[in-house]
Amino acid sequence: MNTNPDEATLALWLDDELAGDALAAMEAWAASQPAQLAAREETRRWRATLAAALPAAQEPPFPDFFNSRVLQAIRDEMPHPVAVPRRRLSWSSWLLPAAACAGMAFAFMAGKNTRPDPAVATIFVEAPQALAATPKPAIYTPEQGVKAEWFSSADASATFIVLEGVSAFPDSMDFSETAYLPTKHPLNSTAGGPTEIAFSLR
Amino acid sequence: MQGPAGPDITDATLSDPDEDFRLVALAQTGDTSAYDALVTRHRGRIFAMIRNMIHQEADAWDLSQEVFIKAWRALPKFEAKARFSTWLYRIAHNVVYDWTRKRKIESAGEFNDEIFERERIDSASFTTPSGGDSPDMTMAHGELRVKIQTALGKLSAEHREVVLLKDVQGLTYKEIAEAMSSTLGTVMSRLYYARQKLQALLKDEYESR
Repeated sequence: MNTNPDEATLALWLDDELAGDALAAMEAWAASQPAQLAAREETRRWRATLAAALPAAQEPPFPDFFNSRVLQAIRDEMPHPVAVPRRRLSWSSWLLPAAACAGMAFAFMAGKNTRPDPAVATIFVEAPQALAATPKPAIYTPEQGVKAEWFSSADASATFIVLEGVSAFPDSMDFSETAYLPTKHPLNSTAGGPTEIAFSLR
Repeated sequence: MQGPAGPDITDATLSDPDEDFRLVALAQTGDTSAYDALVTRHRGRIFAMIRNMIHQEADAWDLSQEVFIKAWRALPKFEAKARFSTWLYRIAHNVVYDWTRKRKIESAGEFNDEIFERERIDSASFTTPSGGDSPDMTMAHGELRVKIQTALGKLSAEHREVVLLKDVQGLTYKEIAEAMSSTLGTVMSRLYYARQKLQALLKDEYESR
């Protein structure tokens, strides 16, 4: 490389991001540029200083609880997002509505012209009421020897968490800071408003 | 919380993008255990990044969760053109800036020195840094860390983010441009000025090393 490199290439070289022919060309140019070689060493030293002082990764407090909350939140949003290939419209798809209308008209006419047969008993079956699925919350107990059980009663509109093996709580403790309830709202803070969970200690 | 998709997580596999793509493909079919493994692989970096940006541990914890929840929602759109980690940094960028904007709106009209205020850093706020340093080195790194964090707090959010992504997280210029929805030239310019300012703020400390 006889001419000076452009600024972008120089920046990439200073940060050790070049490879192959581009790197070889820059190295050939830099061999006669002691100031640039010193600048690259300085950049390397700077990166090493910052990397030593600030960890690139730091486990969040209560990492298992972290995961369980994420999973609880995404399970609350089920059905999960699944990539579904888009269906192409074909001539047959345009026939479907017309065929459905014709079928309905035929069934209506057939029903009008048919008398009920008294010999045949008619049984009316009530559709079963949909059972309200109450999602069971994820309960994480960081202390060993502490067992948590969760009870919910739709009739009483109450939810209980029974903790076994835990030492007495001070009166000043705010449970809302540690309890998580599934919510449709975005997660803003662990210190949410009052919850509807009641705690019982054994 | 290791599902069948990720029983052994080592340093080598943690930085393996192919393993990420395998887990992403499983998660895109609705496999929550694969997604759990992805969260485990990336939560440390995302939490550290956000914590270094906002310096409030509880909020960083919540925002990191929001990143992974939003990533799950957007997972069908992930096309593996970039590394999964770069994609997560981009979501983290948006989450942090949304949070900052919201905080600024909420505190409009009143003096609020909490947002991006590094003077309040608790010197004992970080856990022991990674690596096998001796106690002396650990203490020296701890002191330097506080000084760097304080200096980072004096940078603009954009300058702070570009330094963290480049010099702490080790992303390339191209990846930073993707994460910050910016151009390569802007990233290079920001990083140049951010490093200049940071080195000036840390002049005494930096030159003694």
